[in-house]
Amino acid sequence: MPDTNKILEINGLAMDFGGLRAVDSLSFSIGEGEILGLIGPNGAGKSTVFNCIAGVYPPSEGEVFFAGEKINREKSWNLCKKGLARTFQIVKPFSSKTVLYNVMVGSFAVTDSTAVARRIALETLEFLQLDDKKDVRAANLTIPDRKRLEIARALATNPKLLLLDEVMAGLRPTEVDDVVELIRKLRDRGVTIFLIEHIMRAVMALSDHMIVIHFGRKIAEGKPAEVACNPEVIKAYLGDEYVISRD
Amino acid sequence: MTRQNVHISTMVLAVLIALGLPLVVHSPTYLHIMILLYLYAYLTTSWNLVGGFAGVLPLGHAVFVGIGAYASTMLYLQYGVSPWIGMLVGGVISVMIGVLIGLPTFKMRGAYFALATIAFGEGVRVMIENIDYIGPLKLNGPRGLQIPPLNVGLANMLFLDKKPYYYIILFMLIAVLALTWVISRRKLGYYLNAGGEEPEAAMALGVNVARCKLMAMAMSSFLTALAGTFWAQLTLFIHPKSVMSLDLSFEIAFIALIGGRGSIAGPVLGALLLRPVSDFSRIYFGDKLPGLHLIIFGVVLILVMIFQPRGIQEPLTRAYNKLVDRIVSRRARGVLESA
Repeated sequence: MPDTNKILEINGLAMDFGGLRAVDSLSFSIGEGEILGLIGPNGAGKSTVFNCIAGVYPPSEGEVFFAGEKINREKSWNLCKKGLARTFQIVKPFSSKTVLYNVMVGSFAVTDSTAVARRIALETLEFLQLDDKKDVRAANLTIPDRKRLEIARALATNPKLLLLDEVMAGLRPTEVDDVVELIRKLRDRGVTIFLIEHIMRAVMALSDHMIVIHFGRKIAEGKPAEVACNPEVIKAYLGDEYVISRD
Repeated sequence: MTRQNVHISTMVLAVLIALGLPLVVHSPTYLHIMILLYLYAYLTTSWNLVGGFAGVLPLGHAVFVGIGAYASTMLYLQYGVSPWIGMLVGGVISVMIGVLIGLPTFKMRGAYFALATIAFGEGVRVMIENIDYIGPLKLNGPRGLQIPPLNVGLANMLFLDKKPYYYIILFMLIAVLALTWVISRRKLGYYLNAGGEEPEAAMALGVNVARCKLMAMAMSSFLTALAGTFWAQLTLFIHPKSVMSLDLSFEIAFIALIGGRGSIAGPVLGALLLRPVSDFSRIYFGDKLPGLHLIIFGVVLILVMIFQPRGIQEPLTRAYNKLVDRIVSRRARGVLESA
């Protein structure tokens, strides 16, 4: 049974692509207002987990509950209206359009009026410190700004749960710090956050809980400090010889 | 004088020139050329709702022209129904056919969608060419249908003079441009553009891309069918090769691509550039080199795609904006100096 305090609950999730099982019997949950980090080596199935939750693929097995409601076969546009938003690992801006236009596409999820959508979009841009670039064409943005735009668009849909797929990849250390700060501010606004991230420094600093997956299976779970010392995790990332044995 | 005022004055001026033109130009040939120019601008603007905003490339829109032309003509010839009503009947049938084509094909990407629409368009044309009767309705196969120039008047959308046709199509063009302008500034316009450019991202942001495209297709096919009826009433003779030809579908797409897909001014600018080329090459080379206008279209299309991939509307819009800036700033300076 879904737990009502949990905004997202996943039971025995599995996803097959032909003969390949990309995600296998994965179960976890996120409480409201939490930041959950999902890490794992390349090809571990992290983005597939996101895609199963966000309605891009229907999961082969298992159940996904969002705010107590089963959303296994729900389409992504309906999920967005229910309050589940996501960003893409490979940013997908509407390149020929301005930043403001991009964000307005998001804010139309909560209103039918162009004026209201514009107002929400401008507020969102201000919050993300992108307001000075509102009339710039998305194609002309720098990488950090594109990542910010990706977050801005998702945020404009007024989500309860935000899935962030590697929003810090490719950023310089100071830019990473900015995004870390930004994600904290988002959480303070009451948005629950589930993030995939490769930059350990950031994900360690942000997450209340972490999950590590490898070949589609969960190999560790817990507080960031516990996960970092877990021999399974070290083995998955670095290989057997780096595990310091205790005997 | 603000920017908006300048824009409004430009538009009012353009409309006034268009309205006043028949007072100066009396030659039916030139009026006919203008009527065709507006007709193609209208067709391309309707096409643009799907082909421009929704980001797919339909190449079978002649089907809807044909449906509009045949529906109103058959109703008029056999049952005496006014083409104004037949127009709407054609529109409704077109919507049904448009949605029927859209449902399976909007899942296809890029060239596959274009190919599917060509195949459908050609299929329907060949079918009509080989059918003389559907039940009591006389299609007359490849020989087409002729409307006798009797009972002329507004009620039958039938005139001996070109001027009424000129004003009808001008009004239709202004209406469809206004509709496009309204849509592009509303949720549907944003959603269509988003879904056309990055469907996955749009879906994640709450856009039901397939449904938006179907709505655009429904509107586009309805509007295109209205032009079909107008065409039939203008030429008084329709046959499958004229109102349903692949050439027509391609010409609409050419005008849109050269003018600028997805912009409001693009189809009008494209028609302004290409229609005279088409008509004059037909007048001067029609007997010796028929089809020359399509070659010219092709060359222009290649050049535009290389140098202005967003169509000629982009440099023209930029030039226009610069001009507006100059007018606005000169006025501002004038106000400052006088104060």
